[in-house]
Order: sequence, then structure tokens, then C-alpha cells
Amino acid sequence: MDKIINDGTQPEIEKKAGGDKPVNGNKNRPDTTLWQKFRARKTLFSMVRFVFFFICTIIVTFSLILFILYVVPLLKELSPLHNTEITNNQELKKEPLYKKQTSLLTKDVQRLSLKVNGYTSGQSYIVINTIENRFYLYTNKKLIREGFCSSGSYMMLQTAKNKKWVFKTPKGKYWIHGKTTNPVWKRPDWSFVEEGSPIPSANDDSRYEYGVLGDYALALGDGYMIHGTIYKRFLGMPVTHGCVRLNDDDLKIVFNTLNIGSKVYIF
Amino acid sequence: MMILKLSSILLILVQKFTFSDQIDNMETENTNKRSFGKILFIILTSIISLFIIYYSVMSMISPGRKMEEIKKEFEAKSDDKNGVEGQIFKDSAYLMLLKERSFLQSRIVMAQTDSIYLTINMADSTANIEISGVVVHKAKMSSITASRILLADNLNSILSMLPTPFTISKTFATIKKEPVMIKMAPKDTSEYKPDIMPDTSITEPVNYILLMNNGIRIYVYQEETVKANDRMSHLSFDLKDRLRDTWNSLKSVAALKVPEYHPFIKIRLPRTDAKIIYRAIPKNGQIAVFS
Repeated sequence: MDKIINDGTQPEIEKKAGGDKPVNGNKNRPDTTLWQKFRARKTLFSMVRFVFFFICTIIVTFSLILFILYVVPLLKELSPLHNTEITNNQELKKEPLYKKQTSLLTKDVQRLSLKVNGYTSGQSYIVINTIENRFYLYTNKKLIREGFCSSGSYMMLQTAKNKKWVFKTPKGKYWIHGKTTNPVWKRPDWSFVEEGSPIPSANDDSRYEYGVLGDYALALGDGYMIHGTIYKRFLGMPVTHGCVRLNDDDLKIVFNTLNIGSKVYIF
Repeated sequence: MMILKLSSILLILVQKFTFSDQIDNMETENTNKRSFGKILFIILTSIISLFIIYYSVMSMISPGRKMEEIKKEFEAKSDDKNGVEGQIFKDSAYLMLLKERSFLQSRIVMAQTDSIYLTINMADSTANIEISGVVVHKAKMSSITASRILLADNLNSILSMLPTPFTISKTFATIKKEPVMIKMAPKDTSEYKPDIMPDTSITEPVNYILLMNNGIRIYVYQEETVKANDRMSHLSFDLKDRLRDTWNSLKSVAALKVPEYHPFIKIRLPRTDAKIIYRAIPKNGQIAVFS
């Protein structure tokens, strides 16, 4: 049967190939025969054809998706926009109106620049980077000390009764509310909950701990402080309950540099 | 060139297979069925091609639409004016001063709030975190790409977009804004375990998109590719964003509307700086841009 089909179709193709271009006719002949032989094996031919169309469909679909995802956004950027035609006309610069307008704008820019620069205080202030756990101390707009600190751990302490505390250092602009030497830590409720101990009364003796906050403490309000630590190996890491811990040397300099009212920038 | 060659080979093969199919059709009894399949295939291909052309055209129209919207807002200061006054608005030095003023105005507006904010200066490639006007962190951008609408010295975009700070309306990120870990309180002292040292070796890839209330999008990618995972993470993050954007555009186009155009700024920063900025600025924080 296959042979009959071959015999029937071959002359037609030969005619087609050789009819228009007789020179190429002989050249095409072996190819055509090979193609015919391949076509004669119907099952194989159907399978190859199916695989071919399947691959083609995948390629085309994939190309279309790539076109939509990557080429169309590019085309958006290439589309024409009505831009201002920028000039650098020297004649225009001599015009009195131009001079007046530019001078007004320059004055405006200078005024605004002064205002922006004025925001940075000439007095001492400290910047605390809670992501890298570093601090930067400035006086007269100059960095005088930098080093490691420890800030909030972002730990959420949760009780069985669903009471929660999140230990994070607040971010934003603060100022020094008070300065203390040899501070005493009055343990808050979470400190007992964290250990699994019962919470004592507000002024119970067990709430007071001596020497754990270092030699100095600077209050930031709402119970947050900059203080020393006995856990010096944790400096540079987020391990605290919200306060900022410094090592003894850094703390001494910070304590002596900052005054009550000095700005504290935490981010 | 390679793609062209491959496409032409593919086309020849398709032609051969299709031609054979025509011969086969003559030999089999299912000629009608196959013809129907072929017609369906041609119709589907035509519909898909037409839709893609339509989608591409509509997408290409969108930046122009956005520009028109901006222009409408600032009709009074149109750059179509003639004479000296009109010419001033086309002068490069004057436009530079206008941009500078816009940037400063924006920073002053933000400094008066109590929040942490970001300033992006494309001219000197810096991204700074400021609190109440004080620069608390400086980061150097290694690469910046932005939409033409923002980069071109376009008077309308300068006047409309830059003097007021952008407000973040939504974010997509590969890292958490606040890496909160939950710890259950022990029932008694016997259950208490002291905190262990946190693992600082975890270096998750940092990529995020800040969607602004005025339609601008700021893409921040980490500069380093330390691990193989970093590149993959960037690719998958980018792909997710493209899919999201394309889906929204397709919905608009299907409803016969021009899809919304979002001008963008794409910046690359050192990983630590990118992380600092993302975690420092509030959820609905503000950003000033100097283009």
C-alpha cells in the first residue's frame, strides 16, 4: 500500500520541483525522495508531526508570554512622549525677564537650602541604626564617635492568656529626658513573665536590680533608655527588650556629650 | 540572527508538515474533520495575534495618556507659551533650578512631619534616610534606571510630580518589614530557657517595590549576587511583578480601556543599605525624588 502511495505522489512532486526550475530539479530529487520515504512510514511520520507541532505550540506560547511580559513594557518606554524642547539659548540669558526670573528662583533655592541645612543641629545628637546595631555620635555636625550597640530583638512574648509584648526599639526622633548615674533597673511585668515567675506587686523588692544597666543611663521616655550592659558579647546584635545598650567606654562618652534635651534619631 | 535562522527553519518545517497534511487529507476519509481543525487553528491564531497587537498598541498609548493627565493638571504653566516667558521654561539652567527647588520643597514638607523618610537624588546617585531634616543614613546607588517621563526634562512632570512628596501606598518585598518572632512565655521557672544568640549569618535576598500614591513605582534591588539564590530570587521577584502588572493591564484592555501606566525608578543598592531603607521607612512613608 505504502509503495502504491509513493509511486503515485512522487512524479507529482518531481513535476512540481522540476517544472519551474529544471536546473534545481535534479538537485532536489534526493531530498524529495528522502522526504517521501519518511512520509511512507505513516506511524513514525504522524508521531514526528505530532511532536513537532507540540514543540512548536510550546515555543510559540512561550514566545508570546515573553513578548507580553518583557517586550510590551519596553515598547511602552519607546512610545513617543510630548517632552519640553530643552534649549540653552545664550540670547535668552541676556533678556531682562530671564535674568529676573532666574534670580528670583535662585534666591528661592538658597532660602530653601538654608532652611533644610538648619534642621541639622549644631549641638550634640546621636543616631542609632537598629538594623545594623550601630550608633553615631555628633557634635557641631561632626561625627565624634561611632560603634556597636544592641537594640530591640523583635521578639514577641506571648502568654497562654494571649497577653503580648513586642520587644522593639521605637524609631523616629526622640530626646534625652533624663540622665542617671549608677541606674537601678525596676523590672517590668514582662521580665517576670519571660522567666515564668509570678508577677510581684508594683514596688516589691524583687523588682529592683542593681548593676545590670551599667554606670549610666539616659532616658528616652516611655521606659526606653540608652544604658550599659553586662552582656557585652551581644553588642552589634538585636537582643534587647527595646532599650539601646552600649559598651562602658562608649556609654561614658555618650553620657558626657549629650545633655537633657539632646536629640536622639533612631531608625 | 540566530533567532531568524531558527524561525525560518521552523517555518519551512511547518510548511512541509502542513503540505503533507494536505496530501494526506486527499487520501483519508476524515477530510472534513481535518479541514475544520485547520480552520479553527487559523481562527484562533488570528484572534490571538490580533489581541496581542491590540494589547501592544493600547500599552504603547498608556504613557501618552499619563502625560496628558499630567498636562491637564498644569494647564496654566504650559510649555506651549510663546515669547520670552515661554522660552524660559525650556531653558536647561532654569529647569535645573526648578528641579532643585521642587526637591527642597518636598524635603521641607517631609521634615515638618515626625516621620522617617527617604530622599532619592538621581543626579548624585544617593538615597538618604532623613528624620526631621537630618540625614541619618546615606547610601550610594550603583545603578539607576527610570521612565523617560521622569528622566526627560519635562516641565509638566517636574511641576506636577516632584514638589510634593510621594507617599507609599503598597509594598512588595522579599523581606519582612518587621522580623517579629513569637516566643511563648514559660509556665514556670523550670521551663525558662535564656535567649540564645541570634543567627546573623542569615542573608536573605533584599528586593522590594514601593508603590506610590501618584502611580510611580520605586524598585529597589540588592546590588550583590553573593549566592546563586540571589539571582534566582531577583528573577522570580521581577517575574511576579511583571505577571501582576500584565494581569492588570490585560483586564483593562479586555474592558476596552487603556491600561494604567506606572512611571518607574529602578535602583540598585548594597544589600545592607537596601534592607536599612526598607525597614526604616514606615509602611506609608514618604519619598522625595530629584530626577
